[in-house]
Amino acid sequence: MAATRRLQKELGDLRKSDVKYFRNIQVDESNILLWQGLIVPDQPPYNKGAFKIEITFPAEYPFKPPKVNFKTKIYHPNIDEKGQVCLPIISPENWKPATKTDQVIQSLIDLVHCPEPEHPLRADVAEEFSKNNAKFMKNAEDFTKKNAEKRPAD
Amino acid sequence: MIRSYGGQNSDCQTPYLCHCSLTSPVIKTSLHDNYIMGEAASAASANPQFSQLKVTVNSAKITGSGGVFSSKPDPFVEICVDSQPSRKTDAQKKTTNPKWDDDFTLLVTPYSRLDVRVQSQNTIRAPTLLGQVSIELYNILLENQGKLNDLTKSFEIKLDAKGKTGEVSLSFNGMDVNMTRFPKRNERRQTNASRNDKKSRGQVPNNSNASGSRNRRAPPVPPAPKRTTQSGGSASASGATVSAAASSSGTTTPVAQQNGTVPATNGTGGATHSDESDGQTGPAGHPTQAQQNQSNSTEPLPAGWEMRTDAHGRSYYVDHNTRTTTWERPQPLPPGWERRVDPRGRVYYVDHNTRTTTWQRPNTDMLNNYSAWQDHRNNRNIQLEHLQNRFLFPNPQQVTPDNDPLGSLPEGWEKRIDPNGRVYFVNHKNRTTQWEDPRTQGIVQEDPLPEGWEMRYTADGVRYFVDHNTKTTTFQDPRGGQGKGPKGAYGVPLQYERSFRWKLGQFRYLCTSNALPGHVKITVSRDNLFEDSFQQIMRLQPFDLRRRLYIIFKGEEGLDYGGVAREWFFHLSHDVLNPMYCLFEYASTSNYCLQINAASSVNPDHLVYFRFIGRFIAMALYHGKFIDSGFTLPFYKRMLSKKLYLKDIETIDPEFYNSLVWIRDNNIEECGLELFFTADFEVLGKVEQHDLKEGGSEIKVTEENKEEYIDLMTNWRFSRGVEEQSKAFLDGFSEVVPLQWLQYFDERELELMLCGMQEMDVDDWERNTIYRHYQRNSKQVMWFWKFVREIDNEKKIRLLQFVTGTCRLPVGGFAELMGSNGPQRFCIEKVGKETWLPRSHTCFNRLDLPPYRSYEQLVEKLTMAIEETEGFGQE
Repeated sequence: MAATRRLQKELGDLRKSDVKYFRNIQVDESNILLWQGLIVPDQPPYNKGAFKIEITFPAEYPFKPPKVNFKTKIYHPNIDEKGQVCLPIISPENWKPATKTDQVIQSLIDLVHCPEPEHPLRADVAEEFSKNNAKFMKNAEDFTKKNAEKRPAD
Repeated sequence: MIRSYGGQNSDCQTPYLCHCSLTSPVIKTSLHDNYIMGEAASAASANPQFSQLKVTVNSAKITGSGGVFSSKPDPFVEICVDSQPSRKTDAQKKTTNPKWDDDFTLLVTPYSRLDVRVQSQNTIRAPTLLGQVSIELYNILLENQGKLNDLTKSFEIKLDAKGKTGEVSLSFNGMDVNMTRFPKRNERRQTNASRNDKKSRGQVPNNSNASGSRNRRAPPVPPAPKRTTQSGGSASASGATVSAAASSSGTTTPVAQQNGTVPATNGTGGATHSDESDGQTGPAGHPTQAQQNQSNSTEPLPAGWEMRTDAHGRSYYVDHNTRTTTWERPQPLPPGWERRVDPRGRVYYVDHNTRTTTWQRPNTDMLNNYSAWQDHRNNRNIQLEHLQNRFLFPNPQQVTPDNDPLGSLPEGWEKRIDPNGRVYFVNHKNRTTQWEDPRTQGIVQEDPLPEGWEMRYTADGVRYFVDHNTKTTTFQDPRGGQGKGPKGAYGVPLQYERSFRWKLGQFRYLCTSNALPGHVKITVSRDNLFEDSFQQIMRLQPFDLRRRLYIIFKGEEGLDYGGVAREWFFHLSHDVLNPMYCLFEYASTSNYCLQINAASSVNPDHLVYFRFIGRFIAMALYHGKFIDSGFTLPFYKRMLSKKLYLKDIETIDPEFYNSLVWIRDNNIEECGLELFFTADFEVLGKVEQHDLKEGGSEIKVTEENKEEYIDLMTNWRFSRGVEEQSKAFLDGFSEVVPLQWLQYFDERELELMLCGMQEMDVDDWERNTIYRHYQRNSKQVMWFWKFVREIDNEKKIRLLQFVTGTCRLPVGGFAELMGSNGPQRFCIEKVGKETWLPRSHTCFNRLDLPPYRSYEQLVEKLTMAIEETEGFGQE
């Protein structure tokens, strides 16, 4: 398949680079269009846990962008209860076939660390983030402790 | 092209003829025609309906007259269908080898019995029977696969149970039924059995299985278990090893998709990878039901479904009803839906809410799609009103004689408008009608007269010229004959060839000169418009569809002077869009442009339907009627066999387009695209790889060969998954109208012909336009609107097509213009340098207008942009 070679290369590069913030990359040999992995933030309020994400690549990749989904619940203004996230780098207007998945993940980590309350998916959380940041930090940390995955041992 | 009042041609090329051709014969036959009406009806009712069968009694040989006759008999033949009143040939005098060649048109069902009696005419006594034969039509149909076309057959005739007394030769003609729909009967009728199934029958979107449920007494056999699922099943029963499963199945899960049971909008997740998988990946593993608790959904599975887990711990779902498997968790059917299996073992779904059926398992996307279509449908009355406002050329009646530049008509002439809105001219002196304007007849088109000249007509209608400069008159045209300037491919001056009006005239001429006499009647019910129309149009010979149309909506008999036909075209064109038929889909959210649905094969008979739609669209062009929704511009280009360019992708798939443009515009050597001359395409959850050229999967795309790659990819993008369907469509089309007739037009003109124009409201347009890097009062913007107000409606529409990709406007006008991401106003953006031509971005309804220095420059560049469709501004 056309997308396969590209994704195999990306996957190989990503595994070699051994990044700290994206771990436990799981890809079924039979379906390279579906990746799973663990986002490991290193800043509060999310540094008490890890978050499982799923990246789905379309058959037309890299002509069409992948989709990213959180499988672990997260308390975040830009990630909704279903785990959907709005990432500009993979939006139809911005997508470029040269964009690599590690850039997508990097951009996702950046968004996790620095929420954008002006483009919220959860208006209530965004409002709390802007108006009562201390409360937001506490809620997010509590939520992380309660719901997030265990951080992989280094 | 002058026709007389009384011409026998009733093809309604001139409106006068309409009136006299549409008299009693039409009415008389309508009852009869209702009888032989559609096999659609036959499918829906308890008893098979009638077909028309032409039986020709050729000849007979009478051998066994025995000693009864002192002289040779005067034979004639009597035919009787199912004990109905009989029909007779003339009697031949004194012969044992009579020849008749008499034709009878009989109303029969496939189960009819024909009683043929050869008798001898007697002057006083009742006729003497010479021999007879009973023919079961069913057996003959069976031998000939339901088609009786000039079939000549001899039958032995007998007297009672005694031996052969001769033979009779009959020919059968004109019957064509689908025998799969008429199972063999042992007993006479099973009305009760079939009545129960009435509801489900006839609404299945496929005619051939529609009536099959007559067989319902015997429960349908499920489809032969597919290899994979079988192996899955046996694995579970016997605990067979994985390798056993692998060896028995090359393919794995897509089986379920082939059956059409899986919703077309499969996620890319599970279903896609099955394709490249080895035998292990299919749901053929070791099912451990204990893992059911892994299910993260609380909703129970539909009846007959079971969740299992494969060797990799992935969940899959077994449908014991169909013995198929799928990766996708089945959603219970929405309320009012029911799953059924037809006699051919195919699964379909009945929506009792709307009393419709579909091949596709309903899912949320599909239902949303459907409800959008329904809304659109509910607005149809409004749209129909709008349709009345569509035209190809403005109603010339509005041109009062005073400001008609050609002056008044010659004496005895009158200008009229036919029911289709076309102008024609009546010559009351010799009672003829014609399309050509008598004032300009013989002149393809007029150059303007020199300054100070005027054209006038004498009382006899002869044209002369007044030169006000010298105050003289002359019959000599000061322009020195017609046709100055270079001639184009069609032998007329280039500038006229560009004119849509001229092209349309050429096309109409071809239509007129290929018209057939008489009319063709199409009777449909509003409730079953698609199926009725399908049955009738496909039953007719394609050339019959070029006869004058006579459309009847059942229960609303009225004379069709064009209005009914117009409505039929409008409604039917809307119906072919029904997403439940899976034939077409909206190309994007930006407009209501249609394209072929690559997943249309969920309907096993889709190609026949595409052929039908091809015929129908050709009819719309031929008869000068408009359809409700149009196709995408690339689709029109395909009809015209024009080359498709990269730019054309933008209208149907902006994301794909942007990626290709990025590849074209950037150096791709260093960015690790890992592209090869190969492409993947997913349809119905199955990914297929296609080599763009031979050995393409081993040829890497480089900076040097990327141009070729983009070219090949562009073609592939348009043809992928729809080649067969397009071919069927074009085949159907060209049966009625040869594609060559369209050669005059470009794709935009083709759209105009099919959809018609609307009067453009420039104020509405201007009010709802937004600007980027321009102000409302920028020079160029003011010039732009000045230009728009000065050009004629046709040019305005071309401008609209140029920027938005379609000539059609939403019902709410420019305020409701849609782009690919929702509402998107018409937008003018300042881009580039004055030497550039304007460009457009159809998915954003945006015109890139460079900051031109003068009004003249703007007019020149914009005119070039909208006149040139090919190669222009394609970057």
